[in-house]
Amino acid sequence: MSSLIDSLAYTNRLRWLPPSHKLLLAMVLLLLSLVSPPLVQILISLWLIVWIVVYAGIPAKIYLGLLLLPIGFWFTSVPAFVINFANLKAIASVQSDVWQNWGLNLGRHYLYISQSGLHQIAWLLSRILATTSSMYFLLLTTPFTEVVQILRQLGFPSLLSELLLLMYRFIFTLLAIASELWLAQNSRCGYRTWRRGLYSLGILIGQLLQRSLESYRQVSLSLASRGFNGELKFWRSSPYQPSRRYIFESIFGCVILIILCLNTY
Amino acid sequence: MFEYLLEFADVVYCYPASRQAALHRLTLNVPTGKKCGLIGQNGCGKTTLFLLANGLYQPQDGKIRWQGQPMRYDRPYLSQLRQQIGLVFQNPEHQLVASTVEEDISYGLYNLGLSEREIGQRVQQAIADFDLEELAHYPIHHLSLGQKKRVSIADVMVLQPQLLLLDEPTAYLDPRHTRELRGQLQQIQATGTTILLASHDLDFIYQWADWVFVMDCGHLILEGTPQDVFSQGEILEQLHLGRPLAMDLMEQFKAIVDQNNGINNLNWEDLQEQVFQSRRLF
Repeated sequence: MSSLIDSLAYTNRLRWLPPSHKLLLAMVLLLLSLVSPPLVQILISLWLIVWIVVYAGIPAKIYLGLLLLPIGFWFTSVPAFVINFANLKAIASVQSDVWQNWGLNLGRHYLYISQSGLHQIAWLLSRILATTSSMYFLLLTTPFTEVVQILRQLGFPSLLSELLLLMYRFIFTLLAIASELWLAQNSRCGYRTWRRGLYSLGILIGQLLQRSLESYRQVSLSLASRGFNGELKFWRSSPYQPSRRYIFESIFGCVILIILCLNTY
Repeated sequence: MFEYLLEFADVVYCYPASRQAALHRLTLNVPTGKKCGLIGQNGCGKTTLFLLANGLYQPQDGKIRWQGQPMRYDRPYLSQLRQQIGLVFQNPEHQLVASTVEEDISYGLYNLGLSEREIGQRVQQAIADFDLEELAHYPIHHLSLGQKKRVSIADVMVLQPQLLLLDEPTAYLDPRHTRELRGQLQQIQATGTTILLASHDLDFIYQWADWVFVMDCGHLILEGTPQDVFSQGEILEQLHLGRPLAMDLMEQFKAIVDQNNGINNLNWEDLQEQVFQSRRLF
């Protein structure tokens, strides 16, 4: 999944917009979705679908799959919000909260579906969708390295940004080694039974450590041979082209959303 | 000008946990301006030789001379040396550290402490020279092995070294990319860079090199022009190195011609038939 998101970030149609513009839009929308009423949050989610699926050209199926992730988490918290208990003696005080008289007597307790709970989860859903959509917009249209580059320009400590970039570079090496080993084991029926599978997994993890150490040794040699002097600095050209059309649409849209937001309060 | 750019004299190097020396009194001189090929079995000390030449390891005995001066191991000297001697590792995966192609090429230039402007110019020149325009903004982990190899050579060439060391550069390449590599090496040599290239691909060495070293068990066994070296059939046979295809075919022609008492008693179809047959029967 992570390498799918990564590939999309490098190949989507909004790749050559300046990353700072995309970051700014995502941040404004994220802030708005945190403070705005549900109607505006739903509008934000819909607008971002247009950005992500239509403008950036991310396949709708993939985007839907990504959205199912937070929705799944939301779904697991539904019962905790909606189903309420009350003592039979105190039933009068919760009578107004019972939704459509859906209730059950269980001994000395009364089990019912809460009206305010339903409101809360509906609000929660619109909020979750709006906030994750804004983050997905950034994630799917802007490569990670470009985000780190902006952080660096904003004065983020270079030690941390170097670490982030190195982790980003080598996580894929690690994943590639792991998937190679896994394929090799599978082709020799290493996961045929549960016991054998656990055994193979043990070998895989052990090998992963060994190969990482070997890889580390080689990388430090090659870094030395390329003149490493304690600092990782890179040069990058700036091939980005701002688009008037997209700038106009994002400013226009954000202004309308802010007005809507102010009007409702 | 120096006759020999890099000189190894009686160099001994032994890996910490190993009983046998990887280089055993190796004496080898790399002639300036030549395309040098280095062949030998796996584990004959080729990679160790490269790591020593780049100042990454220090010899336990013997002398290494760079441009006539004994090699030193202090920081300023080493950083200058590593700019002058470029080393391309066998596995490009280990050599590429930045996240995109363009950034990776710029890495060594930053270590030299050049100005932003010059770095930008040199990176763009290297991207054009190595035909990497389309890949410049792509992440390293999206490239194929052949592309990674090309980037790792560009990484080193952007520093404009005087000696380029390549450790089995054809190991991951298909025939087409091998051919392209040969073209790139030709260009690199034309700008005055000396090249030392280790390979198992004897045909590649035979076609490309103009000086060949043969190593075995940490020694230099033979050196000379490709013609001279590859005509020493017996020695190469003893080392199980094989022979370039061209040499092999010539030998067969000669045998067939001898069998038929001269070339005039053969017609083309017969010759073809006999050559094909002898190549199938091993």
